[in-house]
Amino acid sequence: MRLILRNLGFYLLAFWASITLNFVLPRFMPGDPVSRMFAQAQGTMQPDQIAQLRKLFGLDNRPLWEQYVSYVKSVFTGDLGISITRFPTPVSDVIGSQIGWTLLLGGVALVIAAVLGNLLGIVAAWRRGGVLDSAFPPLLIFVGSFPYFWLAMGALYLFGVSLGWFPMRHAYDVGLTPGFNGEFLSNVATHLVLPALTIVLVSIGGWMLGMRNTMIATTAEDYITMAEAKGLSPSRIMFRYAARNALLPSVTNFGMALGFVIGGALLTEVVFAYPGIGYQLLMAVQGLDYPLMQGIFLTITAAVLLANFLVDLVYVRLDPRVRVR
Amino acid sequence: MAPSRIPSRRPRAVLRAVTVTAAAALVLSACTGGSGTSGAGDTSGNQLLTIPREDLATFTRNFNPLSPQAAPMTLQAVYEPLAVHSMADAKDTPWLATKWEQAKDGKSLTFTLREGVKWSDGQALTADDVVYTFELQKKVLGGFDYLDKVTAVDAHTVKFSFNKAFSTAFYEISGHYILPKHIWSKVKDPAKFTNPNPVGTGPYTKIEKFQSQSYELRKNPDYWQPDKQRIAGIQMLAFSGNDSANIAFTNGEVDWTQSFIPDIEKSFVAKDKKHNHYWFPATGAMINWQLNTTKAPFDDPAVRKALSMAVDRDQITKVAMNGYAEPADCTGLARTYDKWRDTLLAASCTWTKYDTDAAAKAFDAAGYKESGGKRKLKNGKDFTLDISVGSASSDWISVANIIKQNLAKVGITATVKTPDWSAVSASYNTGTFDTGIVWSNNGATPYEYFRGVMSTKMVQPVGKQATENYHRFGDKKADKLIDAFAAATDESAQREQMNGLQELYDKDAPVVPLFTGPEWGAYTDARFTGWPSEENPYATLGNRNGSTILVLTSLKPVKS
Repeated sequence: MRLILRNLGFYLLAFWASITLNFVLPRFMPGDPVSRMFAQAQGTMQPDQIAQLRKLFGLDNRPLWEQYVSYVKSVFTGDLGISITRFPTPVSDVIGSQIGWTLLLGGVALVIAAVLGNLLGIVAAWRRGGVLDSAFPPLLIFVGSFPYFWLAMGALYLFGVSLGWFPMRHAYDVGLTPGFNGEFLSNVATHLVLPALTIVLVSIGGWMLGMRNTMIATTAEDYITMAEAKGLSPSRIMFRYAARNALLPSVTNFGMALGFVIGGALLTEVVFAYPGIGYQLLMAVQGLDYPLMQGIFLTITAAVLLANFLVDLVYVRLDPRVRVR
Repeated sequence: MAPSRIPSRRPRAVLRAVTVTAAAALVLSACTGGSGTSGAGDTSGNQLLTIPREDLATFTRNFNPLSPQAAPMTLQAVYEPLAVHSMADAKDTPWLATKWEQAKDGKSLTFTLREGVKWSDGQALTADDVVYTFELQKKVLGGFDYLDKVTAVDAHTVKFSFNKAFSTAFYEISGHYILPKHIWSKVKDPAKFTNPNPVGTGPYTKIEKFQSQSYELRKNPDYWQPDKQRIAGIQMLAFSGNDSANIAFTNGEVDWTQSFIPDIEKSFVAKDKKHNHYWFPATGAMINWQLNTTKAPFDDPAVRKALSMAVDRDQITKVAMNGYAEPADCTGLARTYDKWRDTLLAASCTWTKYDTDAAAKAFDAAGYKESGGKRKLKNGKDFTLDISVGSASSDWISVANIIKQNLAKVGITATVKTPDWSAVSASYNTGTFDTGIVWSNNGATPYEYFRGVMSTKMVQPVGKQATENYHRFGDKKADKLIDAFAAATDESAQREQMNGLQELYDKDAPVVPLFTGPEWGAYTDARFTGWPSEENPYATLGNRNGSTILVLTSLKPVKS
């Protein structure tokens, strides 16, 4: 319990540090939202419109520390203000409308990559030198080191344009009304395949290699020899003795990856025109939309910290040594 | 603490459960794969005009025209202006107003509204709506400083009075959208109103099937020119980049795009020569190479002209701009302003013609001699300069690189700097840049262009934010001509001022004009016909500008 409390204290400190960074960093960028918008319009906007937009957005001209105080307050009340790049939509609505798709895409891809990668790693290490062990890691690393954009475009052309097996864009078909019915859900699933598949392809190699390497170290342990000497079945030794102990680093990685899922998958969103947080964040950064940037960074921070905290809890459960300390 | 004391069932069970669901998800989705696309090839006569937005990954239901982020088509299909100006043929088409009259002293403008125009809720358009629109605009957004008052003379006549003679106000006022008073006067905070179900006078005002990545605009039942509402409706699709939008376009799933398509002849037209077309009229703004005139040696017009002569505009337009741009001449006027161009002047001056030898001679004459292959400044140092371009503009980066190669021939070392546009535009705003590739103002007349490059009123000291005239050059003579142009009420008087401005531009060389950019636009006429083209240039092929309404009311569905 003390351990958990100590951890909690650390997380509070980390949370404060990161929300402060979230506030400070965007303000180091040159320009302000309106002059940014003006530069992007490249001559189609009139100079008087600058003053007009400043008036419309009600831009904050208070001293920085006052802005900081009200920002910290808003973090706790959940009122994140109004987005500038999506004016006059509140930040919470902008994030709320996108985060579901980000969680779905990122979550599904992460779970598939982590589970499949770990399983492959376990089997590869167990049958060291076998076909799986010698062929798969180099192949997956090879695929994974393609530039993601290229791989995604390739998949889109092959499976979307040429073969026509999967839809080429969006989270569901145009004209379909979202709802919890078979037609809509299966439509969403079809649209999810290509984006998720490409993410899995580039990330699975890391999971497999990591698991394989730890697993090889564990299989050299004395208790494995002991288990074999006892005459336990190989699958029991593989999963319950070796894999279980080798799983710990993977759990940590999974927790971290889970937190970063919230940040969105920008390139996937761009190639497959899939809705999500990543593109929204890009737009916010380009348009110097402080409220939206703060809102998204805050969500990411909270998610990473929360995921780490959960991993800590799971660790306590998985690894008895942690409990003793 | 032996591992066996911890119950080990659960992790394994969880692992297995997850594996099964993941596999099931893959199988399930693989089975239902490949569902149909939207109306590609639909020629029932009821097909929707499908338009992609490659710059908006998702839509927000905000049809408030006061917001700069209003959903696409708010200003093109829902709300309408008094008159429509087309950059393609420089004509003004009467729209909600049937005629207008400028007062002799240039201090007022009177519009006569069209009879029988109705809002999409059935109420009639009156002069009060126009008066209210401008009141609201001034209250919420400010601006229109020259506008003294707007009065409804009678139900169909509106008079705009100015506090000075200002004839160019016509374009700003006539192009402004008109809002219904009976709706907006009841809105509590018009700036923050998202206007989810807009009431407008436009042809397509009914919003249907609004989703975050698509929506439809259907016919306004009370439109004032029902014979021009030939298409059943418009469908907007969201894309998060050119690539995904271009795939949809080359696949024939959307009808009309404005996104950049590399090598368009091969990647688009060749796929279906009969139906796939593009037209890139040079109606864009003049793209300039601006030299920071607060820094030596750029404060010397002889240096600016010599630099200009060293630049090979033909190579720039052919190589960097793929042949889609038109090289500039020494009047600085974009192709849109052909009718204002002083052709005699344009034919006689030489400082925008590529001539390395003449450029070298001009540098020598101005006191910038070459020694050992390097041109020297007057203080003996090497003549070097930086050219700034935003990293996102790959075409403009090529422009800068060509200039760099051109300058090497006259002994000047240029460095092309390509940070993010935000950093570049911040250095333009505050005047800390050296030289840079820059856009310019693009109004209905060259008034805005000359104000932006030569007026002293727009010059800010280095360190203070400028919104135009980043190169910080001003000429008092230009101020007079610009003001006189704005005050002049008839075209011959305006032409006189405009000729004066071109003469002054030729003398001062405030910036180095490079080329007129094209307005992109491509379409397929497999499902709709009646598009603007070089033979029939009634509008540009832009689907987000002022003349878009002309295209929407000219298109006809293909029926088979």
